[in-house]
Amino acid sequence: MDVRSQVSMVFHLDKCIGCHTCSIACKNIWTDRKGAEYMWWNNVETKPGTGYPTKWEDQEIYKGGWEKNGDSVSLKGAGKFKGLKNIFHNPHLPVLDDYYEPWTYKYQDLFTAPEGDDQPTARPVSLVTGEHMDVQAGPNWDDDLGGSPDYARQDYNLNQLSQAEQEAMFQLERMTFFYLPRICNHCLNPACVASCPSGAIYKRGEDGVVLINQERCRAWRMCVTACPYKKSYYNWHTGKSEKCVLCYPRLESGQAPACFHSCVGRIRYLGVLLYDADKIQKIASVPEDQLVDAQMDIYLDPFDPEVIRKAQLNGIADSTIEAAQKSPVYKFVKVWKLALPLHPEFRTLPNLFYVPALLPTMATVSNGIYDSTSKSLWNDVSQNRLPMKYLASLFTAGNTSKIVEVMKRLMAVRLHRRGVTVGDLNRNEISSAMSEAQVDAETADAIFRLTSLATFDERFVIPPAHREESIEMLENTGDVKGNTGFGFKERPARGL
Amino acid sequence: MKTMNKTNTGFQIDIRKCFRQFIMLITGLLLIGKLSLQAQDGEAIFKQNCSVCHKIGGGRLIGPDLAGITSKRSIEWLLKWTKASQALVKSGDAEAKAIFDEYKVIMPDQNLPDAELRAVYAFIDSKSADVATSAESSSTTEVVADASNQATQEQISNGKRLFTGAQGLINGGPACISCHNVNYKGVIPGGLLAKDLTDVYSRLGGDIGLHGIMGAPPFPAMTQSYLNKPITENEIADITAFLNRVDKDKTSQQASMMNPLLYGGSAGIIALLILIYILWSSRKRFTVKREIYNRQIRSI
Repeated sequence: MDVRSQVSMVFHLDKCIGCHTCSIACKNIWTDRKGAEYMWWNNVETKPGTGYPTKWEDQEIYKGGWEKNGDSVSLKGAGKFKGLKNIFHNPHLPVLDDYYEPWTYKYQDLFTAPEGDDQPTARPVSLVTGEHMDVQAGPNWDDDLGGSPDYARQDYNLNQLSQAEQEAMFQLERMTFFYLPRICNHCLNPACVASCPSGAIYKRGEDGVVLINQERCRAWRMCVTACPYKKSYYNWHTGKSEKCVLCYPRLESGQAPACFHSCVGRIRYLGVLLYDADKIQKIASVPEDQLVDAQMDIYLDPFDPEVIRKAQLNGIADSTIEAAQKSPVYKFVKVWKLALPLHPEFRTLPNLFYVPALLPTMATVSNGIYDSTSKSLWNDVSQNRLPMKYLASLFTAGNTSKIVEVMKRLMAVRLHRRGVTVGDLNRNEISSAMSEAQVDAETADAIFRLTSLATFDERFVIPPAHREESIEMLENTGDVKGNTGFGFKERPARGL
Repeated sequence: MKTMNKTNTGFQIDIRKCFRQFIMLITGLLLIGKLSLQAQDGEAIFKQNCSVCHKIGGGRLIGPDLAGITSKRSIEWLLKWTKASQALVKSGDAEAKAIFDEYKVIMPDQNLPDAELRAVYAFIDSKSADVATSAESSSTTEVVADASNQATQEQISNGKRLFTGAQGLINGGPACISCHNVNYKGVIPGGLLAKDLTDVYSRLGGDIGLHGIMGAPPFPAMTQSYLNKPITENEIADITAFLNRVDKDKTSQQASMMNPLLYGGSAGIIALLILIYILWSSRKRFTVKREIYNRQIRSI
């Protein structure tokens, strides 16, 4: 057992209001630079939809992630032979049009235009060429377009549904959408790290943050192809690739990353998970329907004395182990089993987990007549607006039973709280739902509390970075003691 | 401060004086050096630029024997001729026209500074005197004018191998075919950088002319190519024998229509393109938003 610590995340999709505050917070801090304008290290997508970059989930187009290869896995779009074959032109790379051409407006024209019969307008100007341009697309062009033929119906996950099921999904009565905020998953088995020919990408030992060394990056852009989530971006100005850094300077000083901190819906949770690095290859190679369960197995119980002992042997600080015990992510993922990884079939073992949106129905259709009453307050989860197959394609690599379990637990919590706060439901109905979902009242209350009432410190349990110790790896602190602090530009007249 | 300044100016005067003397000394040394070097220079320049076509005593090569030329013509006339012989011929100079009519080979313009040409004339002058005293009896022409006519079949095929590069030159010089072409059966088309050598044997003065050219190449590109990698006497003889045969057979040889490099190369490129098409057949050709973009109305 090789115990390591990983800063992991949970996004609660039922709480996301799609305001893009996270994206803007990130943009203002990190990507408001020349060459980085089109990068959205954090973006919010409307689902069903095609996302950003468009159709990123379709690996037949972009060749990202891993594919099972016997007892192991190999990269779908990179590696020795494939890398050599595409060394001069990699056709699987997203082009700027797959993202969008970033632009601004010539606001000055509003003030400086000569007087005329028409109002002056601020024309769009490309941030790449500086020329006037027609705005053709944006990073969230499909925002809120839950039924559009160009975006919603092109959703990759609809491939799992039959034609009839797809049509049913887009009936007016069932029309729905939810938001899917995405950042880098800081995977346990990162394809970007594996694909880099320069060895510029690395996974930090102390907290598992995946970073690109800007000095070693040689612009091969293999990471852009390899990352199935398309969260590595190429900066055309600096000639280096960049990606989400999980605001590591903020983490190291005990603050939550900017997108977490600014989240209006408070949907984001951050905490440490301990995992067994010896199991990565084995777990990344299991058959698709077992992927989610296998990934859950890699995360270790931070209360287990054996795990704690092995963690200490690996140099994990006691403060980090303590953070792992308090981790909200551990509760959502391992204890309550409510949060699921996004597209586990890419086999990168992502560390960002999603509590799926419940989206229950409260009406029935019988004999073609829409009836706004239902047998119970909410229909059974199988009647949910989003087909289970669709959610299974997103979160469980097609394992529908897994997603139904999660939905039933979420529904049980909701029924229980309805019983507590309103009390208008049949007691038997609530208790049968809870026993079916294997959730007792105490657990349901705890889930409710962390979902709805959690304080800042409960949502973000950030392990101390112990920078005072890490500096000792670089230099002997005794040598530089007394060498910093105040000094004199000119000697004082009285001398020193 | 003032005292310092004074000493400073005194020192400067000293330096200026020294500097002037130094310059004079250097100029003097340079002049002496120049004069003493001139004779040797002349010989070197002659060997490099003239000896291919001209001899001093011992008869004509491609051009006339230059023994005594300095007493026959004025230095000014020689300068004009050497630098631009055709200009002189066209200007109507009777002597120039007579020479050109006799030899019928255009002498290449020698783009050398006057000083160097004068050095060459000085060298010819002194050499002519030697030739006159040695009574011209020695006549040590190493090259027999028609040696290649008696060449064995082995020599010719050896020359062919040297020409095509099948066998490398002993001193490591490049094979002739890199820059030259000949029309001869079994020889692939050669380079187009330099002149076609099919009729070079008759064009450039037979054995003696070719020996001169290969022994001390007068053309800048060829000079550089064989710098420190001279072609040996045996190799020259073999290549000359081969070129002689090529020249003799030229009427029966057709310029090769089947150029294997051209046709093979084209076929190779087509094969490569097909391979590329197959290897990348499943590539992403268009942006995934193409259909959306194509519907959009543009203002620009």
